[in-house]
Amino acid sequence: MKKVVILGGGGGGAILANLLPKDEFDVTVIDKKENHVFLPGNLFIAFMGHKKERYMKPLKELLKPHIKFLHDEIISLDLNERKIKTKGKEIEYDYVAIATGAHLDYDAISGNTELLNKFGDYYSGPENAAKLHNTLMGMKEGNFVIAVADPIYMCPPAPQKGAFLSSKFFAKRGLKEKVKVILALPFPHAYSSKVISDIIEPELRKEGIEVHTFFTVDSIDTKNKKIFSVEGEEINYEVAVVIPIHEGPEYEVKPAEVKDDSNYIKIDKYTSKVEGFDDAYAIGDCTNAPTSKSGVTAHLQAETVASRLQGFDAKYSGRTNCPLLTNGTGLFIISDYDHPPVPVKLSKFKRLMEDLFVATYWDAIRYPELWEPIFKAYFEATNPEVLGKEGW
Amino acid sequence: MAVIRVDARGMACPGPISALTKAYRKAKNGDILEVLATDPGFKPDVQAWVKRTGNELTELTEEKDYIKASIKVTAKKT
Ligand SMILES: Cc1cc2nc3c(=O)[nH]c(=O)nc-3n(C[C@H](O)[C@H](O)[C@H](O)COP(=O)(O)OP(=O)(O)OC[C@H]3O[C@@H](n4cnc5c(N)ncnc54)[C@H](O)[C@@H]3O)c2cc1C
Repeated sequence: MKKVVILGGGGGGAILANLLPKDEFDVTVIDKKENHVFLPGNLFIAFMGHKKERYMKPLKELLKPHIKFLHDEIISLDLNERKIKTKGKEIEYDYVAIATGAHLDYDAISGNTELLNKFGDYYSGPENAAKLHNTLMGMKEGNFVIAVADPIYMCPPAPQKGAFLSSKFFAKRGLKEKVKVILALPFPHAYSSKVISDIIEPELRKEGIEVHTFFTVDSIDTKNKKIFSVEGEEINYEVAVVIPIHEGPEYEVKPAEVKDDSNYIKIDKYTSKVEGFDDAYAIGDCTNAPTSKSGVTAHLQAETVASRLQGFDAKYSGRTNCPLLTNGTGLFIISDYDHPPVPVKLSKFKRLMEDLFVATYWDAIRYPELWEPIFKAYFEATNPEVLGKEGW
Repeated sequence: MAVIRVDARGMACPGPISALTKAYRKAKNGDILEVLATDPGFKPDVQAWVKRTGNELTELTEEKDYIKASIKVTAKKT
């Protein structure tokens, strides 16, 4: 039996654990949280008032019965000694997979922690998303600002999604004339890629959403309700969400060189192997792979690592698939290492498929082997190479 | 005063402007930011960026297979 320890039971870690055959692997998952969270649900909690319980499930129930779950916080990982320290234990391994996601550093921007505690947000978790919903329910007028502190963050279209959904929310409450939704982004356009931007800019205009480009949050003055940008501008807010600076694991990893400037774990972008190690992998949002930080990435890297641990030469193409729901329908943003983002406009039918995906999420985590052929067929049909520039 | 080199060759999304922004956050007035990029959108984007931020574009050249921009940082608030 090969002893595999998986650090983190989020989208990437849980799928990897469930994909490893029990007759070959002795698998342990360590997570500091008891509940696995479906992060995209934050949007529905915050802007549509969904119950947060819908998007959380005990991790223990999502893992197959033979998998050991250790509910504890990881303090350090020593790749040379093959040792993991948690608050309560020391564990050794044959193989390790780092899947602890992105660390959200609210303290890096002055005023951001205060903002989070006051209003809530839709990045840190379902509790804060519910808090944001309450905040928005109490809002009567002024600017609702969604701003970004750093160009690298989870789910690139999430700020725009938040803007569309909140605009709809205020319209429903009859506040369209009183509340202005403002989207402030570090990019030259309304989305990091120009092609996608060209599609959503008219939609944003139609919704009356004001977009500030070249606006990367530098600091927040919570007393005077102002956000300042690195580029030298400012925006007034009544309520604001500032998507925090993302980083790799906060806990110590030895040797220190495997982390980059932002603490991300340096990996080979195709095999997910940690640089310099044959028995260590990293998947999902905690790595420096030059692709979007998305659940799809975490999922596909988990499949790659599961195959590699079983002796196959699997590789990950860098494929991403981020939905951007505008008002009626929306689009998928598809890309990989070799192709810039391709927009795929969603018909009502494809939009239904997106909703279906949300509905099947828990099942896909629990039984990834059953869903693999379905996802595979979809990914082949929508390969950016096949799509060309036209979209699906 | 320092020359800070930002190699954003091969970056398309989120793109070289993002790499420039990251470096600009830490830069001080007087520093030179030297950005190398392959994304063809970089040329108009960096021109727009300089105009908006009020920094000084001292060089914008097209080499054989990349674009090079040098920016003198002058507009940082201290
Ligand atoms: C609002 C929003 C919308 C999104 N929408 C989409 C979407 O539509 N499509 C898409 O593909 N992606 C989407 N994403 C991104 C997606 O949720 C993440 O990319 C994905 O969850 C990453 O998976 P992961 O396994 O790398 O990390 P995570 O899912 O973040 O899991 C990391 C786990 O590690 C645990 N952990 C961390 N540190 C420690 C420690 N020290 N000790 C023990 N445990 C620890 C955490 O508790 C957590 O359970 C969205 C994200 C947000 C915030």
